[in-house]
Amino acid sequence: MKIERKALFEKSFPVSSYPIIQLSSILQLAFLLIISASCTKSSQDTTTSKATPYVIRIPKYFPTELNIPADNPMTVEGVELGRYLFYDGRISGRTEPDSLMSCSTCHVQAHSFVCGIENPRFQGGHPRGLTGILTPHFMLPMINLVWVTNGYLWNGSLSPANPLQAKRRLEDMCWMAIVAPHEISGDTSRSRALIQGIEGYPELFEKAFGSKTVTVKNMGRAIAQFVRTLISANSKFDRFLEGKAQLSEKERKGYVLFMTETGGDCFHCHGGEGNPLFTTNLFYNNGLDSVFVDPLDRYGFTHNSMDVGAYVAPTLRNAAYTAPYMHDGRFKSLEEVIDFYSSGLVWSPSISTLMHHVSTRGVQLTPSQKSDLKDFILTLTDSSFVTNSEFSRPPRLPGEK
Amino acid sequence: MKTSGNMRIQLSSLCVFIAVVCLTAGLPALQSCTKSGITEEGTSKPTTLIIRFENMVDTLPLVLDTMKYKNLADDYYKVTDLQYFVSNVTLHRDDGIVYRALNNDGIHYVDARIPSTLYWTINASVPPGTFDSISFTFGLNAEMNYSYRFLNPPERDMNWPEILGGGYHYMKMNLSWRKSGMNRAYPFNFHLGIGQIYRGNIINPDSIEGYVQNFFNVNLPASAFSISQGQVRLLVLTMNINSWFNGENEFDFAKYQNMMMQNQNAMHNACLNGKNAFAVRFTSGGK
Repeated sequence: MKIERKALFEKSFPVSSYPIIQLSSILQLAFLLIISASCTKSSQDTTTSKATPYVIRIPKYFPTELNIPADNPMTVEGVELGRYLFYDGRISGRTEPDSLMSCSTCHVQAHSFVCGIENPRFQGGHPRGLTGILTPHFMLPMINLVWVTNGYLWNGSLSPANPLQAKRRLEDMCWMAIVAPHEISGDTSRSRALIQGIEGYPELFEKAFGSKTVTVKNMGRAIAQFVRTLISANSKFDRFLEGKAQLSEKERKGYVLFMTETGGDCFHCHGGEGNPLFTTNLFYNNGLDSVFVDPLDRYGFTHNSMDVGAYVAPTLRNAAYTAPYMHDGRFKSLEEVIDFYSSGLVWSPSISTLMHHVSTRGVQLTPSQKSDLKDFILTLTDSSFVTNSEFSRPPRLPGEK
Repeated sequence: MKTSGNMRIQLSSLCVFIAVVCLTAGLPALQSCTKSGITEEGTSKPTTLIIRFENMVDTLPLVLDTMKYKNLADDYYKVTDLQYFVSNVTLHRDDGIVYRALNNDGIHYVDARIPSTLYWTINASVPPGTFDSISFTFGLNAEMNYSYRFLNPPERDMNWPEILGGGYHYMKMNLSWRKSGMNRAYPFNFHLGIGQIYRGNIINPDSIEGYVQNFFNVNLPASAFSISQGQVRLLVLTMNINSWFNGENEFDFAKYQNMMMQNQNAMHNACLNGKNAFAVRFTSGGK
């Protein structure tokens, strides 16, 4: 990756100005050294554990800025602990087999960490909590979240802009899931105490965070670290961008449709070659409805009238695995989604201005164009992501015989 | 630009850039350390030019999301997103010396929804003297405009599809508009970037046979202003949204089916208007 990034860096500057940049870099480095030398005392104050740094490898063309909070640096031990907790149903604070619930109960790797439309436990792919209460929304895939910088969840409310300090970061999802009536419906004290008492966990917490004492805060930190490792960048389209694969003629046609205004015009919201996350992670009213009753849309968070009916544009990576689609799961297949954008758009005062095809109810694709577009979207399938053993349930959880 | 002038600029830029780096990288650190009593604060004051980007509709500041503007075609409109690149900002000194801003590779991204992007601080790199004009490129020129230049948002999200010429949008102005007397407003994507030439004028990406660079340069003669060592000067660069619609090529939203990325004629006409959308003024002091 270093070589690739250097190549990009060199490409960014004309030859004549490159020596200036090099010199400035040297000077900046010198200043950083001065600063680090003179401010050693304060740096030492923040050191809390001897855990091994975990380095995220940034895939080619992916953003170089990662959303990793300064107070929760990635470590090998933190990620390992987070993986155990992610899959451990005892995080629910319960031990009876029918009362266990963990992140992985709903976030299923085989479905890019949504529960899947065929999930026997959650009819139609709509998760419900331990007590049977349905979640307000269907699920978002858990892919490449380390690059989300403007809020998590469908309305982006888990962000620094949230007035509630405890609901701003990925780390906060742990306690939120434990207490949410539509999820674990539990008690953080009970969850913490149970994990504390399981043989092996205190040692794992000590390795990760320097203390054997289990805290909900550190549970959240560990799970967030694990979730940040869930990176998908090995689809056919990724290999195509790197010159290692060819698209079929239908896929190529679909790619052109995806990237053009007169085609499907998907790229403005869902990225493309210039944004390989395949989402801007921004919020749009995409023309689903004309009447809006969901209190948890983007408007529910921002109270900006232009955000009525708006939700985040989900990544299209692994869309093959993540049905049903939309915040309310109304579309069961990619065909239904494409049909909607082709001829089902509904005007409303707050419809995103990027949805300019609403004047003709949609982009008006022919049947063969729809088929081509779907074929292209399927090139974003990364099967290695859903089978990667590093993301799977560990063979044995702490305390298991 | 002559070769000798180029070298002179580069050498002076080098010296100035070193000064900038020293001041920008060093001073904040020294100041922060001062609080803990470790080192003393530096004393030299940087020469600073701050460019403020002011988006206007005629004489009033642009207010996003408000359906209150009207163009010559008798269309009401509101702007929901306004994002654009300005590059190659160059100050022309009265003695013939030119100074080109090198911060951020000489590129600045403006987003009406991100207040921090409405200011561009040219740090301490501006040579003292009297300047009589400013020029810049609207968008990115062909040399600067290549794909994967920006990997991080928000600039990343300005990417322009490879099939349509690649690089980045020069400008995204998303708006909705309605004719007088109509209730319903429809979106329009006023997007500018590299244009395409289509074989037989059939708008099909497979029939693209050439590309057109639509960026343009703006030169704004201004009443002379001087900047002395250690001074902070504010340069206000205004863009009048209505000028994009009301110039010599009156822009009718209805004519272009609410989009223009694949309509070189629309982009060309818009850019002719856009050349007259800018004005500059100078003031003393900071923000």
